[in-house]
Amino acid sequence: MTQMEVRGLMFDPYTNAYIVILRDDGNTEMLPIWVGKPEAHAISRAIEGTPEERPMTHDLMKTVLDTADAKVISVVVTDLKENTYYAKIHLSYGDSEYSVDSRPSDAIALALRAQAPIFVTDEVLQKQSTEQFDRWLENLKPEDFGKYEA
Amino acid sequence: MDNDLVKLLVQGVWADANPNAESQVVLLQDEDKSAALPIWVGIAEGTAIRLAVEGIAPPRPLSHDLLRNLTEHLGLKVSKVVVTDLKSNTYFASIYLSSPQSEVTIDSRPSDAIALALRTRSPIYATREVLDKQPPEAVDPWLKRLHSKESGGTA
Repeated sequence: MTQMEVRGLMFDPYTNAYIVILRDDGNTEMLPIWVGKPEAHAISRAIEGTPEERPMTHDLMKTVLDTADAKVISVVVTDLKENTYYAKIHLSYGDSEYSVDSRPSDAIALALRAQAPIFVTDEVLQKQSTEQFDRWLENLKPEDFGKYEA
Repeated sequence: MDNDLVKLLVQGVWADANPNAESQVVLLQDEDKSAALPIWVGIAEGTAIRLAVEGIAPPRPLSHDLLRNLTEHLGLKVSKVVVTDLKSNTYFASIYLSSPQSEVTIDSRPSDAIALALRTRSPIYATREVLDKQPPEAVDPWLKRLHSKESGGTA
């Protein structure tokens, strides 16, 4: 497993979705994950530390955990099957530990709020290819940047 | 407070009349169909609510499915959710969570509270005060719309 951080969040004008860029400390690994707008906003707010006036869905998740005195130990992007990434949220609660199935977007949004580390399994890093992303990057024209609000 | 709570049912989720708006309307109605509560929600919340109403389980857990799963794993029961207030065009809600040891109330947007309540099959209420606080022009079009369908019909 490799610990990774959210290093970027971009808008993809071709799919109208957003891309979360995870990178490891040594900058040797990169994992782009496509997410929807609401998850992108949740991630963006957590990174920028801008509080919303009203609690959003992922804030609510964190509050529920705090209420039960449960902690997020880590989140792990565990698998890639048919273009879908899978993740697990590892919680500790009382004397027990639980793993909860999740989309990576939700797991990351929650991890950022809980200040918990994000890991990606070696299997996922091997399975995913950055070829697709590099080609996407190459096809982007300069005028695509800055055109959309992330 | 209990006397002032009105039980509501979700009648449906509609797209906003303005096609460019990034919002949808969740319509709640009380059991004797005398009061209606339209709440504007984001598309993600509207979708989450509609999927729950239609009993459709998406292939991967969406945010509100995760929220429900987290409460279950932690042994927390959603005893009820209540739309508690309306201030400056913003609705406020509370989620009542109970564990064997205690009951806790969590501040929430109504959209999240409703999306969660539908997944945990918990009752949804609004205070009588909130229902009365609504401007009639916001509610009447919906009441008319609901009465023009077969009774009990949803969108």
